[in-house]
Amino acid sequence: MSTATFSQAALEHLDSLYGYALILTRDQTAAEDLVQETYLRAVRAFGQLMANSNLKGWLFVRMRNAWLNQLRHTRSGPRFVELDDENVESFYQNDRVNDDPHVVYLRKLEREQIRMAIAGLPELYREIIVLRDLEGFSYQEIATMLSCPAGTVMSRLGRARAKLRRALVSWQLRAAAKAV
Amino acid sequence: MSNCEEILDRMSLYLDDELEARECGNITVHLADCASCRASFDSERRLLENVRGCGPLHVARPELRARMEKLVNDRPMAQFAPPELRDRIRRTADHFSSRSPRLRFARPAIAISAVLAVAILVGLWLLNRSNRSPILHGPSQFAMMAADTHQRHIRGQLPLEVVTDVPQEISNWFAGKVPFMVKLPNYQESSGQEKTYRLEGARLVGYKNDYAAYVAYQMRTRPISLVVTSDKVAQPTDGEQIVAKGITFHYNSINGLKVLTWSDRGLTYALVSDLEERGQQSCVVCHQGVKDKDFIEPLKPR
Repeated sequence: MSTATFSQAALEHLDSLYGYALILTRDQTAAEDLVQETYLRAVRAFGQLMANSNLKGWLFVRMRNAWLNQLRHTRSGPRFVELDDENVESFYQNDRVNDDPHVVYLRKLEREQIRMAIAGLPELYREIIVLRDLEGFSYQEIATMLSCPAGTVMSRLGRARAKLRRALVSWQLRAAAKAV
Repeated sequence: MSNCEEILDRMSLYLDDELEARECGNITVHLADCASCRASFDSERRLLENVRGCGPLHVARPELRARMEKLVNDRPMAQFAPPELRDRIRRTADHFSSRSPRLRFARPAIAISAVLAVAILVGLWLLNRSNRSPILHGPSQFAMMAADTHQRHIRGQLPLEVVTDVPQEISNWFAGKVPFMVKLPNYQESSGQEKTYRLEGARLVGYKNDYAAYVAYQMRTRPISLVVTSDKVAQPTDGEQIVAKGITFHYNSINGLKVLTWSDRGLTYALVSDLEERGQQSCVVCHQGVKDKDFIEPLKPR
């Protein structure tokens, strides 16, 4: 891979890396610093990247290692400050253009609910949902990233999805009750 | 595979494309015939489609993007070895591998002998091991989780959510977070004995759709983990069994870690350490009194 191709390909994953950094750090400034550290490490280690490597997975592993390294050095642990609804809202992407305003509204509402439900999950579950369902990593890739057996990934993902489903069902029930 | 329960168990793997083609085919056939499983499948698929369709959750600020673009474009990339150097190394390697034809023929024989020797040694070790502990089974899921949690905490992947060396503060912190009471005794304080261990803190860990309590200790820089859950959620069923003071302890060695699991008064415990023998010295985090020596003694290997 040439340096120009690498730069372009690596920057394509910026939003994904930033989202993952927010899950790890729970702090916007710390997340941005972690993204910067990840790209720095990536640039330095570019020579180790094989031609057929999965660049996205490689960057995610680098980010997680950088984060663990920071934790080890600071020994203060992560700041357990939950993002409030307003903050979460401000990170969301703008909606895509659609011809039917009603359909746009409903889809947006649904997406917002799913995002809120994901944001409300415990860190462990939020991480696995993001890695698998939003970033599309395989069980094995996640297992390597989290340094745990693939079986743990499978069971944790099952629990995370069950919790997410319960959160969404409870939202739908509340919405239905309001409509009545 | 035609049992609906089995199909539902494998549903996520099927939807995540994590199954082998043959098993995938079996499930596809089953779904075509079974309306009930198909309904579950459709519901699960819809959920995943909705979740997958809502990303990305966050977008980087334009300022961050601009900074990163500058960073990857301006920084000098790691240097590759020049092609001439690569060729020289390859030539040197080829030279050595073709130098001794006799050695080339001897290599497969050496490899086979080495494999045979290793197989014999492993066989002898297994035989010796089975003679010594006839009641060995695989560790329980709870013991595996406890060992995994211990390792991840050491690696810094599971930071503590409450950091204190006061047992009462830990108990208070868990109140309302786990569906049982976590009461940590403090023998060191009450007995005035020498402090042999230090309480570090605690956190919640997910286990079977609920939270278990995780408590971290240090004994002369060696970490000890205590994981507690309700005995309705986990029962220690496997491993080498040792009875002490009416409680059956289950001992497992997992990835070099000593894991003791047991149930008592409605709770199931796992104690993980890399201490000597069966790690029975880790019991002092709750049992350091003189009377408790009777309790720890039987856990020593005979």
